[in-house]
Amino acid sequence: MIKVLELARDRFGLGARARKRLPFSALFANFQKILELNNKILDMMAEMGDMLGGNYIFDRQYIQTACQRGSDLVQKLIYSLNTIVPKKYLVLNDIFRNINNEIEEELAGRLVIPETDYVMPYEFITRDFADVVGAKNANVAELTKQLVLAVPEGFAITTRAFRSFFDHNDLVNKVDAATAAWEEGRLTTEDASRDIRALIMAGSIPPKLNKAVIGALAHLQEVSGVKDLFLAVRSSARGEDSELTFAGQYLSLLNEPQANLLKCYRDVLASTYAASAMEYRRQKGFSEHEVAMAVACQRMIDAKISGVIYTMDPSSSNSEAMVITATWGLGAPIVAGEVKADRFMVSREAPYGVLGLDIVRKTEGLMPREGGGCEFRPIEEGLQTMTSLTDEQVRRIAEAGLMIEKYFKRPQDIEWAIDHDGELVILQARPLNIKSQVAQMVCDISSIVENYPVVFANKGVIAQNGIATGKVFFVNSDEDLDHFPQGAILVSKQTSPRFAKVVKKANGIITDIGSATGHMATIAREFRVPAILGTEVATRLLTPDQEITMDAEDNVVYEGTVKELCYYAFTKELFEETYEYRLLRRVLKRISPLNLLDPHDKNFVPSGCKTFHDITRFIHEKAVEALIDMNYLHHHDMDAPARRLKSDLPLDLVLIDIGGGFSEEVNSRTVPPEEIISLPMRAFLQGLGVPGAWSSAPVSVDFGSFMSSLTRTFSSTLASPRYLGQNLAVISKEYANISLRLGYHFNMIDAYLSKNINDNYAYFRFLGGVTDPARRSRRARFISEILGRNDFRVDLRGDLVVARIKKLGPELMERKVCLLGQLVAFTRQLDVLMSSDQQIEKFVQKFDQLTKNNES
Amino acid sequence: MSNEEKTSILILDDEAIVLKRLEPALEKAGYEVEVFSRSLDASNRVMERDFDIVITDLKMEGLDGMQFLTQVKERSPVTEVIVITGFATMETAKESFQKGVFDFLAKPFKLGEILETVRKAEAKVKKSRSG
Repeated sequence: MIKVLELARDRFGLGARARKRLPFSALFANFQKILELNNKILDMMAEMGDMLGGNYIFDRQYIQTACQRGSDLVQKLIYSLNTIVPKKYLVLNDIFRNINNEIEEELAGRLVIPETDYVMPYEFITRDFADVVGAKNANVAELTKQLVLAVPEGFAITTRAFRSFFDHNDLVNKVDAATAAWEEGRLTTEDASRDIRALIMAGSIPPKLNKAVIGALAHLQEVSGVKDLFLAVRSSARGEDSELTFAGQYLSLLNEPQANLLKCYRDVLASTYAASAMEYRRQKGFSEHEVAMAVACQRMIDAKISGVIYTMDPSSSNSEAMVITATWGLGAPIVAGEVKADRFMVSREAPYGVLGLDIVRKTEGLMPREGGGCEFRPIEEGLQTMTSLTDEQVRRIAEAGLMIEKYFKRPQDIEWAIDHDGELVILQARPLNIKSQVAQMVCDISSIVENYPVVFANKGVIAQNGIATGKVFFVNSDEDLDHFPQGAILVSKQTSPRFAKVVKKANGIITDIGSATGHMATIAREFRVPAILGTEVATRLLTPDQEITMDAEDNVVYEGTVKELCYYAFTKELFEETYEYRLLRRVLKRISPLNLLDPHDKNFVPSGCKTFHDITRFIHEKAVEALIDMNYLHHHDMDAPARRLKSDLPLDLVLIDIGGGFSEEVNSRTVPPEEIISLPMRAFLQGLGVPGAWSSAPVSVDFGSFMSSLTRTFSSTLASPRYLGQNLAVISKEYANISLRLGYHFNMIDAYLSKNINDNYAYFRFLGGVTDPARRSRRARFISEILGRNDFRVDLRGDLVVARIKKLGPELMERKVCLLGQLVAFTRQLDVLMSSDQQIEKFVQKFDQLTKNNES
Repeated sequence: MSNEEKTSILILDDEAIVLKRLEPALEKAGYEVEVFSRSLDASNRVMERDFDIVITDLKMEGLDGMQFLTQVKERSPVTEVIVITGFATMETAKESFQKGVFDFLAKPFKLGEILETVRKAEAKVKKSRSG
């Protein structure tokens, strides 16, 4: 949208503003500073992200130092922007302060119960919300999100709701008093428990919570297509089901009609203070202040068969088997030990054959009662001694169990159900305690591994720590991805964002090319898949279907399956479960995620900045905009010598010297290239002038493109008069900032070229113009391709390409800037010619040929 | 599995996470490891027995790393000491080397880096003991 009023205002106020206007040299110095700070912040985020892979040993002090560094950089960045564009974005300071405060609260260890909603549907929950929804809810949500397993539909009532219930009923002081009395021995556990529970049961539901729950139920009705919902209401306390398993301590209510939900909620809340729970917490060293109960509300599964699977047999040292128990109806009685259940010993290796079974007489099963609640009903005679699971069902349960084990890196205790449609649903998954058994098996790991040949070691970088075994599966093309088998180890030459779709099936990832801070590394960490990238030799030394063991801790790949390493991994405390890792993840959530993607989107405003990354991006874009604005509004009113380029190139370019850019003080209004001393400017012009690069003949626009250009409005930015300004280059001896509107697109180049390798950089920005979107983005992809191949770090978003390269010596940097010139000339009219994707590669080759010709 | 054959390492760091990550990693590599978070406890321990390698942080409460390192070297010159610290400066590095430290690693460091340094230190200790 053309901001006519704004421009008019600027125009009329031009005289007054001119007096306060920043001198050009200062403007560009600040712009350079912004680019430099931008880079430093991006580097810092990459480094912190790398720490999450587990390959580094870092402590709390590192996290604090890194956050402090980040905070300083962002503050400086805001200051620089405010210097270029005074007063316009002052609100950024407040936004920054809010984010920074949250980070500091986290670092100070103050329990931050996030300002989240009272309820969260499962679709929105990830493992990072464990503090808010409890481990049980978080795990179930992860299973369906990451592993795509079926779980009950439902929502969590958060710890925030818990707090608000307490606040609303003024319970905090009263409960504190009771627990204090109990802790000091003045009150018995039974009495304290009874008093507190009475207080909770007498409490009323805060109106906002009531409303939120009603909304959640409505959403659940919609999502499930069922109007009369029956729910399982279970506890999901913070800390439950992760390291400390409060199994059986808190309340679970089954098959409750939705009308009872809030009453059940209160019951579950009260169960937090059951006498046995209070004693259990005391025993485990859990402070009463840390208690925060979230609740899981799940649709009841109409289970035909239910049971439990232990992915390792805890009762024996037989490490090769899993145990599945099953019965007709609901599974709760198995867990409580109230019914007899069939027992299956199953192999941990595909195809998960049954190694032994013990079928019992199943006389009764727990079933949902119509209208609510459950009851035991007798099983019909024919089914009593029949096996409750077919081999096929056993296989499916086993496969799911191992997938979950692999993801959580621990043997699991999983509750499952098979409904009347035959679908397997996972109800709950928690770690199985098998430490003592397994520890015996792996007492001397270092001598055990000596028996296995090493395929290669210490190659590449560890992007995600862990141990993995499996068969090698080479991925050379997208078709290979479609055939990727569950549990294989992905081996490939390069990384690709397309691998994301199989990452959750993979036990491990090994590549020839890749880095610890790239996209692949980030995905591997999200899915917790051990990854060794950039090995250079993987595709050469490994063979398809080869059984290997990846030790992505010590960076060794063994031939064969070293089971002991896996068991060893089971007993270790996972670095992901350490306080420091969790703390780093939490602070990074306020630093790294990028919410502001499209500069032309309406949410690209200061209040849209939720993280440091957002602020950085916002400032970067606004700084560029400010430069372009200055150009448009002030080019005829300069405080620095300006001259027009005189050359054979059909290019209307004005150059402004802010220090040593021209060879002498000349009064002439034009300047030939020979009199330009600015190193980057010379290099750029040279590139523009590469024979064959600049296609000066006007390209015939085909009718389709022409019509397209007429009927669609210009993209809002390029229609803005600010982009119609003079082609302008601001130069000094070692610096150049060039903005060009050529053909239908906009380019900006900012480069610094000196003897000092550490100061040198080149920044390139390209924004596309007319013709249909497909052609525009092809052109952007062409540009990204060229720049990527020439070692630039490229950011491609639709039609906007931003590329950077830094820290090269003067000769090399000069060549890069020259390349930019050549690229700008070459792409002048290219969009019109790029009628298909194949054209991209064709033009890439043509461009490369030009470069080669020019170099020789 | 006799412990005499294993190279012994003592680790001192007031940050529990460092101990939690280093201990299993070094044990996995076949070393005998003892960990301490309080310098006083570590100091008492080295009086009771010698270790082949000592890994210590510098900035801790009570006895600081530099003093501990001196104590270790005095008691058992053949023990190799590796310093790990989050406050790496030229001065502390120089001072550590003057006091006879084997190597100096700045936190955060990769698991591979510390293992590599420990292996080199181990080689030197074995040579000193046999020579």
